[in-house]
Amino acid sequence: MNESHKNSLHIQANQILLCLMLGFVIGISGCATASKESTAINKDDPYENFNRKVYGFNDKVDGYVAKPVADTYKQVTPDFVETGVSNFFNNLKSINVVLNDILQAKFEQSGLDTSRFLMNSTLGMAGLFDVAKSVGLEQNDEDFEQTLAVWGVPQGSYLVIPFLGPVTSRGIPGAVFDAAANPATYVSPVVPIQALSLINTRANAEGALKFIDEASLDPYVFTRESFLQWRNHLATDGKSETSSDLTDDIDAELLDDNQATDKKADSNLGGVIGAKVPSPDKNRASSASTGNKNTLQILPPDENGADKNPTGAAPKPLGVSK
Amino acid sequence: MGKNILNLIILCCLILGGMSNAYALEQGKSAARQIVDQFQDELIDVMKNGKKLGYSGRYDKLKDSVTNSHDLSKIARIVVGKEWEKLTETQQQQLVDVFSRLSIASYAHNFKDYSGETFTFDTEEATTRGGVVIHSHLTIPDDKPVKFDYMLKEKGDSWRIINIIANGVSDLALKRSEYTTILQREGFDALIAKINEKIDNYSKQ
Repeated sequence: MNESHKNSLHIQANQILLCLMLGFVIGISGCATASKESTAINKDDPYENFNRKVYGFNDKVDGYVAKPVADTYKQVTPDFVETGVSNFFNNLKSINVVLNDILQAKFEQSGLDTSRFLMNSTLGMAGLFDVAKSVGLEQNDEDFEQTLAVWGVPQGSYLVIPFLGPVTSRGIPGAVFDAAANPATYVSPVVPIQALSLINTRANAEGALKFIDEASLDPYVFTRESFLQWRNHLATDGKSETSSDLTDDIDAELLDDNQATDKKADSNLGGVIGAKVPSPDKNRASSASTGNKNTLQILPPDENGADKNPTGAAPKPLGVSK
Repeated sequence: MGKNILNLIILCCLILGGMSNAYALEQGKSAARQIVDQFQDELIDVMKNGKKLGYSGRYDKLKDSVTNSHDLSKIARIVVGKEWEKLTETQQQQLVDVFSRLSIASYAHNFKDYSGETFTFDTEEATTRGGVVIHSHLTIPDDKPVKFDYMLKEKGDSWRIINIIANGVSDLALKRSEYTTILQREGFDALIAKINEKIDNYSKQ
């Protein structure tokens, strides 16, 4: 719902902590050979060991600081204020969207996004109300990282940045550009505004983070995969998915299947059908309103802004021992 | 003359043969779509009755829906990738068993209530190697629609879902990364323990 504005917040946060980030990136390149050795399984994640450490750190920061603050914010703030805050930051991000529309030569879309911005800035009281949405103008999600992708810049390595969370090497210059182009970066008073945007982002990511908690066996890998796939989906405007390499991979594996395996596995299904049913649920009342956002078994965390969470809010594993 | 008749017969056979092939293909496609449609209908139905059914009620209802529409044994095999060959037969069976229970449990947990969601079929396409992809989307009131692409493979005389791609995120790819990572880092027993823990958590919430 609010991923685009979260993205903008993510970007602002990136700017604030730019020096930190760059410092870490340089640091990472330095220790690349050291961390590559044993368990680099994924080619997009050559620094997995290092990234996992940062991920664990972010997770703690989230658990001790970001989540409590965001929870309190949600408790004390009326819903309409929360929505207004989200809409406000989201609207400022529209300028970025228009710029990147143009940079990607999506001129028709840039026109629509411009009308959207104008409508919300005027009728929508400086962006507090999303009027454009109610007349069917959905916000497009464009940022400079996607523009770089369109221009042919390769994605680069996956990195987990302290406090900020996942990013790819392509995402770093993208974030710098987007932050520079976003008025929220310059809105005074800067510190409270930035703080509010961070809290707002963390609060909006709650559903997605809870989903990762529940669904992932390895939250680090889950976050990484869904982040990379989702970014790729955005960069290609959804055109890459079914024609992707994965389909071919799977096809190839299926061809490798031998009948014996199939038969054996089939006989197992009998066991599955007769499997013991887990105990009944307690139907938590709180799930009623948020349930449907979390219903999507494979909803990318980004849908709720998880991976763009400037607090670096990593999901806390639910008792998953590491 | 006789030759002409023979040619005509051959031609007819070719046309008929072609037609029946096309017919079979058409049948196959609609069969794949039928599987997805039926599964989505059952899912929406469970969501509508979600509260009343409770977790175990939803689990019971979805057990058949999921096993009849998904090729769970094949999915379980794909998500562990090359590691599959390294498992003993008992381990393979155990994996398929817990994986199937996890799949049903996660549906039962996540699709628990209803606020006007609808699935809509968009298009159907054949993949290069004989699979079918059904493109559809879930409309959620007051929210952006979510794209659901189902990849199906023929199994016997029917079709089964092998992968679901939601808004560009492939469930199979996601799980494969997770499962192979855990197998390589922590081993088979840890994987099974984690899956069981997830099933437990789903049943409690």
